[in-house]
Amino acid sequence: MTGLNSILSQSTTIVTRKTGNEYVLVPITNNIADMNSVYTLNETGAFIWELIDGKRSIEEIIIKLTNEYDIDKQNAESDVFTFIENMSKYLIIR
Amino acid sequence: MRNFNLNIAGYNIGFEASANGPELKPAARFLRNIKPNNSSDILIRVHSEPFNLPKGAERVFRAPYVEVINGIQFNNETNFWSVWKYRSELYIWTIFPLSFSEKNAVLKFSLTSMEWDLWIYGARDEMDPFEYPLDGLILYYLTVINGDIMIHASGVNNAGHGYIFSGVSGKGKSTMAKLWDDSGAKVIHDDRLILRNSGNGYRMFNTPVYNDDEPRESPFSKIFIIEHGRENMLVPLKGANAVTQVMANCIQHNWGADIIARLLGSISIMCGTIPASKLFFKPDRSVIDLILDNE
Repeated sequence: MTGLNSILSQSTTIVTRKTGNEYVLVPITNNIADMNSVYTLNETGAFIWELIDGKRSIEEIIIKLTNEYDIDKQNAESDVFTFIENMSKYLIIR
Repeated sequence: MRNFNLNIAGYNIGFEASANGPELKPAARFLRNIKPNNSSDILIRVHSEPFNLPKGAERVFRAPYVEVINGIQFNNETNFWSVWKYRSELYIWTIFPLSFSEKNAVLKFSLTSMEWDLWIYGARDEMDPFEYPLDGLILYYLTVINGDIMIHASGVNNAGHGYIFSGVSGKGKSTMAKLWDDSGAKVIHDDRLILRNSGNGYRMFNTPVYNDDEPRESPFSKIFIIEHGRENMLVPLKGANAVTQVMANCIQHNWGADIIARLLGSISIMCGTIPASKLFFKPDRSVIDLILDNE
């Protein structure tokens, strides 16, 4: 179960490109790009995505988010867990 | 002939028959692209014997043959062309669905070597080494190597301003090209373009599709993702959204993270300097007025 102490890594089955403050994410399935499932991440999503490095816990990411943006911990926690739920196919959680 | 050089979209593609290889005879649609054989960007040696793919080669992409008849798509060949990988070498195996003779071919190439080999088996005395689908496939991989973009799009130059109208089949590329043609603009192509960064800005190039195609190119400064609409409407696309909308209309074989990343990078850089918009349009002169009013 994913909790505050869980550590996240980015899946290798996705090609990413930062454009401005946003990201384009192209999933790869069976070695083929799945163009029907391309994701774009806004500035906040991009910020969270870059913090997912296989070392930081979810709690550390939430704290970074509250420090970077003017939001309280409860909203930051909600944003991060929503992000994890939406991107679960492309995250490795341990 | 034993060898010839084509210049298409600024790429110099040399073909050379091997010692026991066939006579080479490019199709009529390429004759305007034949240039003196100075320094080829890529040299393709053509052989006429069969070639077996190496044992252990892995198929990384397979394309069906898709025909559109009366607007309906038919996949009538399950094995049209396919891309195979063995170590650092790549191979394309293909049949020639528009050929009168039954033949197949293997193109051996890589993304780093500039000397490729092509074996065509079952051809008669003379052969066109750039016969469909090899023409599009070779050009596609040249765009991959050079960080360029091949896109489903029509393109026009109106009084020095180049516009690209991109969309998949049925979105109105040819309709848009015809509207501009009727208004006196120069049509670069009505279906497929290669986009390259020349260092002094981006240029669009046609590729020979029809027998009367002459080499054409133009700088361009705007990209429109087109769709038929009840009214003309322009919606600017920004950032990641622009990149994904343009990428969705690019010709791509979609296999392998490296190739996908190259295309994504090229589109991202292009969209950083060339504005893209969604364009809903009515098929009449009014859409041209809208674009010119926004110039």
